[in-house]
Amino acid sequence: MLSRVAESLYWIGRYLDRGENTARLINSTTQVLLDLPAKASFGWHILIKVAGLDAEFVKRYPQADEDTIIRFLVDDEDNPSSIISSIHNARENARTVREVLPMELWERINSLYLYIRDNGPRALVGRGPREEVLRGVIGRRESITGLFTGSMSRDAAYQFIKLGRNIERADMTTRIVDVNSALQVSGDSAIAALTTQRAWVATLNALSALQMYRNHVGVHVRRRYAAEFLLKDTLFPRSVNFCFSEIQACLAALPDNPAAIRALRQAEDHLTGMRLEGLTSPVLHDFLDDLQGDIATIHAAVAGQYFNQHQPKNGQSAGQ
Amino acid sequence: MSAPVQLLDYPQPGIYDELVDEKLRPRPAAKLLFDYVNRLGIAELLARREAVDAAIMAMGITFTVYSEAGNIDRVWPFDLIPRTMSKREWDRIDAGLKQRLTALNLFIDDIYNEQRIVKDGIFPAEVLAGSKNFRAQCRGMKPRFGVWAHVCGTDLVRDGDGTVYVLEDNLRVPSGVSYMLENRELMKRLFPELFKSSPILPVDDYPAQLYDTLAALAPQQQEKPVIVVLTPGIYNSAYFEHSYLAQKMGAVLVEGSDLVVTKDDCVYMKTITGLRRVDVVYRRIDDEFLDPEAFRPDSMLGVPGLMRAWRAGNVGIANAPGAGVADDKVVYTFVPKMIKYYLDQDPILANVPSWLCMMDDQREHVLANLDKLVVKPANESGGYGMLIGPRASEEERLKFADLIRENPRNYMAQPTLALSTAPTLIDDSLVPRHLDLRPFVLQSDKLYATTGGLTRVALRKGSLVVNSSQGGGSKDTWIIDLGDE
Repeated sequence: MLSRVAESLYWIGRYLDRGENTARLINSTTQVLLDLPAKASFGWHILIKVAGLDAEFVKRYPQADEDTIIRFLVDDEDNPSSIISSIHNARENARTVREVLPMELWERINSLYLYIRDNGPRALVGRGPREEVLRGVIGRRESITGLFTGSMSRDAAYQFIKLGRNIERADMTTRIVDVNSALQVSGDSAIAALTTQRAWVATLNALSALQMYRNHVGVHVRRRYAAEFLLKDTLFPRSVNFCFSEIQACLAALPDNPAAIRALRQAEDHLTGMRLEGLTSPVLHDFLDDLQGDIATIHAAVAGQYFNQHQPKNGQSAGQ
Repeated sequence: MSAPVQLLDYPQPGIYDELVDEKLRPRPAAKLLFDYVNRLGIAELLARREAVDAAIMAMGITFTVYSEAGNIDRVWPFDLIPRTMSKREWDRIDAGLKQRLTALNLFIDDIYNEQRIVKDGIFPAEVLAGSKNFRAQCRGMKPRFGVWAHVCGTDLVRDGDGTVYVLEDNLRVPSGVSYMLENRELMKRLFPELFKSSPILPVDDYPAQLYDTLAALAPQQQEKPVIVVLTPGIYNSAYFEHSYLAQKMGAVLVEGSDLVVTKDDCVYMKTITGLRRVDVVYRRIDDEFLDPEAFRPDSMLGVPGLMRAWRAGNVGIANAPGAGVADDKVVYTFVPKMIKYYLDQDPILANVPSWLCMMDDQREHVLANLDKLVVKPANESGGYGMLIGPRASEEERLKFADLIRENPRNYMAQPTLALSTAPTLIDDSLVPRHLDLRPFVLQSDKLYATTGGLTRVALRKGSLVVNSSQGGGSKDTWIIDLGDE
């Protein structure tokens, strides 16, 4: 497989997942807001921060209210990580590697792009239509994953898309969890406890994890157990730990993998060593930051081994 | 009860029409389509068109226009009324196309070697001297089978009186064949009932034929040679086609930066496990950009050393570098003579009568009749840089007269042909629109021509320009076996 093609496939996986996860992040945040007691305050700005887009946002927008942030995250083509940009980038990458993909996969990625292009503006007119449009994105993206799983041979092309998807997913899960560390509740502790609990319910919901949490952990949502579930659970497919084992499986199927596997092992060791009992929001935030750094190191090892070994490329970079 | 004779409310086109005769009755090859469309009725036809448009959008069949940087692809404009032709008529054209490409390849091989045709006084040395596409770097090369142009797109038109002419031979990097294949796919999706038990001949063996043509060029005979399609990248107008053909042939789609020529003069591609040897390059990049070592040093699209590898016999390239020497509208006028000279045969397909501006008497005729003629530059493609005399302003004609006088070798002129028409669905009715036909012909160890080809149609009323970059669309092309051979 051509290095350039491998790189494009990897980015298709990443961009599609980024688009989907941004949609999930917005929907869950909206839910948190609906459930928030009157005394609690919440800044939409946190979405920009967890996505790592503060600088990009401040450059162009004077204020960080809900409408502006939604526009920035959903429909702003100048924001390279907005949903529309992510899906556009996935499509452009798919266009350059169409010949290694099942024909229908390209058609669905193309359709997803046309959907968000045509419906994106509708997400800006209110919470009702927004939720519907974003669900449309999530559903279409899931149908692409289904087709991908059901119709692609487990060859190198498959592994690179899956690798990109799981690296992006692990990263986005840490970011969605991180939303909670920014929640600030003033007033009495009963309200604070209730608010925190609701926020974690919303986070589990965002990752379609609530029912699995109930089945495997318990009916009460507690910060420590929710965080542990989303980061360390071995069976839930969006947990960071699960993504790591998927990455492990991809790398095992690819040639010349030692450097990337070393980076993965290190990340896994850090994750295993995290103690989540009794931790405070700032400590959780630092944990998540470290984890994001580990994931970036895995990316760099993959890129160095498979994409850039012949010459430096001037195309995509990890920050895109 | 007899079926209605007329095709919906199709008006009298006034000149030769591909589907109906002068009394608006269906030509034999169009009978099946005629009855079918009449049964459907206009409302159903319009509904199917909507479905077609949605399918094209979803399949992402696009082409790119150079100037539109921000919006790089446009949806391929497709007309759902096919163009029909009888197999009997097609068989004659098929033989003519193969004859023509055979002669053209003998010519190119001769030009880069002995130049007998020049020495024998058939082909003027001055035409060769003024050729923009002659590549001195190719002198003395003997590509396998003596074939240089492995893929040729031949433009055919039918004049108002019904005669089919060759308008030009595209021997550099002709495109359009993917649209021919996609058009048929669309028709089968939209009108499955038509293809069930019909005499419409299939077109889908082209990718396999192209694969065989290319595989025959591998330096060593081997079971599965590594074939790559070399594309300039996603901003090229034909990128869709490059990707499409690679996909259909199971070849690797590469850009220049994916390939490298090492000290052993072999071509390799950069893969996730290191370098892998390439046997055949189907290049969709013009000569000039192919190899910055041999041609334009500023080319970012090509592969440094590719010519070295080709000359050393370590890689097959299709079309061979330099094949474009015969893709020149002045050289075109000599093709009937080439056929006679190399094959000792009469041309099966006619050339459009042409005047060469480099010949003094012919130039005078052209300058005196600019309002009646079409004047073409020798080396442009895509319909750029030409003058359609009857439709041009006085000012444009004067400007063109100066261009001709400045560089007579670069221009030739032809009468304005009254291109034939076919019913085309515009807005909500069937109206006549002018069209041409581009079959694709392959040659390596054997010859092959597509069954029919790509029918291009000028969607604007009265327009004769069928190029997709200038408001043209396309149709499916049906060669109908009437069982009358």
